[in-house]
Amino acid sequence: MAKPRIGIYGLTGCAGDQLAILNCEDELLDIVNAVDLRSFSMASSSNPEGEIDVAFVEGAVCQQRDLDELKEIRSRSKLLIAIGTCAVWGGVAAARNDIDREKLKEKVYGPSGSFLESLPVKPLGEHVKVDLAISGCPIEKEELINSVASLLRGDLPLLVSFPVCTSCKMHEYECLLVKRGQLCLGPITRAGCEARCPGLNRVCRGCRGPVDEPNAASEVALLKERGFDRRDIINALATFAAPAEKLAEQIVGKEPACQSAQDASQAEKE
Amino acid sequence: MRIIKLKKEHLRDFVGSLSAFGKLYAPQARGEKSFVLKELKDLSNLRLDYRRTILPPKKFFNRPDETILNFSSDNGYQAAADANGGRRVLFGLHACDIKGLEILDWVMRDGYRDEKYFQRRERTAVIGVSCEPDESCFCLAMQADNVETGYDLFLSDVNSCYLVTVRTSLGDDMVNANQELFQEVGKDTIEAFKKKTHAHARKLDDMCDLSVSQMPELIELEYMSDIWKDYAKRCLSCGSCTMVCPTCTCYDIRDEVELDQQRGTRKKRWDSCFFPDYAAVAGGENFRAEAYSRFRYRYLHKQDGFVAKYGRSSCVGCGRCIEICPAKIDLRDVIKSIEGVT
Repeated sequence: MAKPRIGIYGLTGCAGDQLAILNCEDELLDIVNAVDLRSFSMASSSNPEGEIDVAFVEGAVCQQRDLDELKEIRSRSKLLIAIGTCAVWGGVAAARNDIDREKLKEKVYGPSGSFLESLPVKPLGEHVKVDLAISGCPIEKEELINSVASLLRGDLPLLVSFPVCTSCKMHEYECLLVKRGQLCLGPITRAGCEARCPGLNRVCRGCRGPVDEPNAASEVALLKERGFDRRDIINALATFAAPAEKLAEQIVGKEPACQSAQDASQAEKE
Repeated sequence: MRIIKLKKEHLRDFVGSLSAFGKLYAPQARGEKSFVLKELKDLSNLRLDYRRTILPPKKFFNRPDETILNFSSDNGYQAAADANGGRRVLFGLHACDIKGLEILDWVMRDGYRDEKYFQRRERTAVIGVSCEPDESCFCLAMQADNVETGYDLFLSDVNSCYLVTVRTSLGDDMVNANQELFQEVGKDTIEAFKKKTHAHARKLDDMCDLSVSQMPELIELEYMSDIWKDYAKRCLSCGSCTMVCPTCTCYDIRDEVELDQQRGTRKKRWDSCFFPDYAAVAGGENFRAEAYSRFRYRYLHKQDGFVAKYGRSSCVGCGRCIEICPAKIDLRDVIKSIEGVT
């Protein structure tokens, strides 16, 4: 059987997922031996491209050239796999989609920023068909290797879909939300990270995106009940996962996520 | 049975001596306000004032995530070496957790007997210690406030000493290896023990106004009730309650194949009936697609189906699910809602 032709691509993002692939040092030679690597610009300057069987794409669609490249990759790939939270959920770049693009450009770059071309930030699945999503910021090495091994035998991998709370309990980490009253998104965030942050006494910030059926309304309610500011809650929800912003809107009403705390408390009173 | 007395000043010496009978595990602090059962490497870390550990002792017998077999195209299927198969002593278990292990035994014995589970159980000594209940405890309602079996030794706190109940020959060996630490029980200690026992029972009774005697019938009758939907609105399906439950046994099995496609491992990991994919089957059907049906299922199983099969609920009233629920869902409130007594 011919080796599957693979391409690894990056749209707008920090390139951390491509780096995570390169960091699979012990397995890298096995991976390269098992596939026909047609494109991986971070690792090689010689990329023959052409028709490919599996495209791994990281980063979010933030500008027209991202979209053009994504559509071009999709058109010559049998399977397209979104890797990393930006590609799967929009990621950090999508956290401010609620602000008008023109205003945003001016805020960040000043009047000279108006020539910049910028689209509302979307994950790959909003523009093209995505066959498999491997979330993570960055992706976990084990999930990547497990996915490649599954794809090599014609299967899709079984990725973790349960929440971080479950992993946290399996490791017997102290619950930062219940026991220490901290703003933790573990209950609605997809695990696969072995609850690394709570294990290091840091709350879950939702970097792997939401579980399939996040009960965001209950998460927001329980955080509000514990005295957290609504702005902090919305910001936390929107940091990594664009859909959470929509969820938050449904729950607490549409408001710019970055407004001042004063405005937020005023709105609360109203 | 034999009952003897251990002065508290001798407790450490006795606990220290137990490592001769296997790797010693005992309750110790974790983080700021939590406890875990872990290997006791320093006797000064022993915390018998704990209320409950994050995970119950089931973790020693059903590991949260473990490799059960290895396979390869050359050697076929080979059982994985058991890293948890050595002799162990679990010191400091409360009555509810000992009852939880007994219930777990019934489940693991029925149908397909889980040999690895019982190998681990048989090589593990259990030493119970009496407890001080807190606001999440309801063991009395679940008939798990006292255990008559399931332990080798049980230490009951009687002020300046422990009454030590010797239940098995292994427990007897542990005592005999330390004869000099023990004394006969005097009349004063017997009186103090009675007083303490009565006070404990009264305290549990005062704290616990729960009755589950009609639960199977009421759950069946209220199957279509909106109560389940109301609670499910708050439930995060985070799985915490099932992970920390002493008697939840569900697990998932998956195969992970190496990149060379020649070797792989079969892994077993705890699962939860709260997860959306728990009752999903091939073809995309899901028997419990909605969150409320999964929430209801936990009660159906623990307070109804289990009673029909084993004559009692599989809940032991340890309070872990109450303490850990981020949404503050209290199992006792759910039961009371079903009973219509809220």
